[in-house]
Amino acid sequence: MPLGDSAITIVLGAERSTELLNRVHATAAALGAERLAEVQDIVPAYLGVAVFYDSLQASFSDVAAKLLAICDRRTALIADSDKIREHEISVTYDGADLAQVSASTGLSVDEVIARHSSRLYSVDLLGFVPGFAYLSELDSALQLPRRSQPRPRVPAGSVAIAGAQTAVYSLDTPGGWHIIGRTDRVMFDPSRDPPALLSAGDMVRFVPAP
Amino acid sequence: MDVFALQALNAIVGNAPASAALEWALGGGTLRFQIDCVFAIGGAHARATLMGRAMPSFTTCQARAGDELTVEQLTDGRFLYIAFGGGIDVPQILGSRSTYLPGHFGGYNGRMIARNDTLSLGPAPISPPSEGFTCPPELLPRYDSAAVRITRGPHADLFDDAAWHTLTETEFAVSTASDRTGYKLKGKAVSDAAENLPSDASCQGAIQIPGDGTPIVLMADAPTVGGYPKIAVVAEADLPILAQRSPGHTVRFQLVTIEQSQRALKRRASDLYTIGATGAASA
Repeated sequence: MPLGDSAITIVLGAERSTELLNRVHATAAALGAERLAEVQDIVPAYLGVAVFYDSLQASFSDVAAKLLAICDRRTALIADSDKIREHEISVTYDGADLAQVSASTGLSVDEVIARHSSRLYSVDLLGFVPGFAYLSELDSALQLPRRSQPRPRVPAGSVAIAGAQTAVYSLDTPGGWHIIGRTDRVMFDPSRDPPALLSAGDMVRFVPAP
Repeated sequence: MDVFALQALNAIVGNAPASAALEWALGGGTLRFQIDCVFAIGGAHARATLMGRAMPSFTTCQARAGDELTVEQLTDGRFLYIAFGGGIDVPQILGSRSTYLPGHFGGYNGRMIARNDTLSLGPAPISPPSEGFTCPPELLPRYDSAAVRITRGPHADLFDDAAWHTLTETEFAVSTASDRTGYKLKGKAVSDAAENLPSDASCQGAIQIPGDGTPIVLMADAPTVGGYPKIAVVAEADLPILAQRSPGHTVRFQLVTIEQSQRALKRRASDLYTIGATGAASA
């Protein structure tokens, strides 16, 4: 269906799941591999893929027909597991909300740190602001709703949790997640290629800084 | 924010459409030219003078080294654009010369222009149009138009007839809580779809309806994904009209089909082409 004049959303499912996310990533990769001249950007999300195109070059119905044909042709889309990259991100666990997370979850601070750093997370998608990666799945004991009052400014490099997800703030932005630590790693650098450290489908492990 | 004004001004000073220009909001100020160059202003209405002479909008003007351009005040609209022949010489980052303030990159060192900054221009265009060329007004967007066209968004079906009635039959005012990321609108609440949606792709012009029913239209610095339901999307052809609407001013939404909306956008593109071609012919 159209997402404004210059984008199409392809919905692949109704419920969030790991299987669906794999299909989303595979579909995004397959559409990207076609290198259609009118396509400008491909944005994978939880339930589907959005394709941005030059609407002066091609109409909605033309592009939609092309994309559907590609999706049909590639019926057995499987994520290319060879390409999965693993990242280790060193974290100083001294975030402003660490004590409150410990209180809300009933876990000791050391236990919060241990649970956060003992998992391998997958990059579900990038979004919000450049380089911001949504990572899942957070230990169920650490899952808390977002802060009721978002902070007007969260510094880049802040490691935070909310719901079933964790993330590293990539820019100084407003934010409502619980900040539990920080890292020196630069999540987004426009002079780097690619600028974002993480890509959808990558795996991430947080390591407590010595 | 107002891409049409930017591109039209670039066209009349003989630049490529994506050449860097100044986007000017809020207060007044003065620019001093250190070289001779062609320039033009437009977008928001402004009281502006070049060495005491009033500057008309969307009209090419020749500045001499030492001349001063003073913008006294924006009188209507929010964003004034000033395009210079040759374009402002700033590096292209990720395919763009624009400034992304939240990321501190792009444009002029990733920040707003400050007092005493010096901007360099690229090579002057080969065939700059003659001085005093004015864009035919019928080729410009109707900035005073009450209605802004929209198309159905990805979550259009989650909203009932009452919500759609509110969106398309009542007036909304642009709230003071509006910036380059989004314009918040004040008016009757658009009844909530009450769905907790997983984040999905977003775009400029998307009209999001958060829990309190207050529409937010995403603008130039829109996030790439978002979790609020998107009931509709503003037609790209009309985004400049909305972008120029100041806090307190009102807007009505008119639902059109995607075909109508894309046709309107093509019309804008052909108007831009005509502006460039007539400008060049006047040289």
